[in-house]
Amino acid sequence: MKKIVVACGSGVATSQTIASKIDSMLQDEGIKASVEAVDIKSLDNIIDQVDVYVKIVSGPTNYDIPTINGIPFLTGMGRDAEFEKLKEYLK
Amino acid sequence: MLEISNLLNEDLILLDLEAEDCEDAIKKMSSKLIEKGYVKESYKQAILKREQTFPTGLDTGEIKIAIPHTDSTHVIKPGILVAKLKNEIEFKDMGNPSNRLKIKMVFMLAVKDPKAQVPVLTKLMGIFSDQEGIKKIYESKTEKELLNSILNTIDSKK
Repeated sequence: MKKIVVACGSGVATSQTIASKIDSMLQDEGIKASVEAVDIKSLDNIIDQVDVYVKIVSGPTNYDIPTINGIPFLTGMGRDAEFEKLKEYLK
Repeated sequence: MLEISNLLNEDLILLDLEAEDCEDAIKKMSSKLIEKGYVKESYKQAILKREQTFPTGLDTGEIKIAIPHTDSTHVIKPGILVAKLKNEIEFKDMGNPSNRLKIKMVFMLAVKDPKAQVPVLTKLMGIFSDQEGIKKIYESKTEKELLNSILNTIDSKK
């Protein structure tokens, strides 16, 4: 199963909420993937096991893996486009 | 289960909050949460610091909002403090901190147990993508009306 990771500053509110939103959108389409929220500091340790990175804050590093923008899942603006990208990456 | 109505109440709604800038707004709002017993004294410094490193302004269209929050270690009990700002204040953009957004409303989150609060936060954030709903919330004239607008907007999504 592909692994999606959402990272924010502390892993408490924003990343968890976006992860839950993405999870329910994927479920609605019958797509199986694991979605996890982490704080940006722990991202380095797990990034090599991640298939898609959902970026919220501009981190210190850019990772060489498929990345989508997480903010649209909060604001609704441009959400469909990011979700389509995500689905492509999960194929 | 934790419901949104457990986290919001009229005491946690500030109408026409006057603040000079983002820092001033966050200080005033934290003081309110401290005074009401929702967060520890340490919350104020922690949330200011976090806003500098990881800003929380969101471009939600006409009514832009910010959602300052910080680690749960500074929180005593969960709550959401909602402020309608008297004047727009610039917050940095969460996704692109070099960009500044003119914010009209602030939702300050006191998150105690992230896992338990996610369903509620997800519902709350659902209104951020509803420009009509957020406009109605913003145009409320009293604390009670604003609270009810939030609850109604969330209910309309069920």
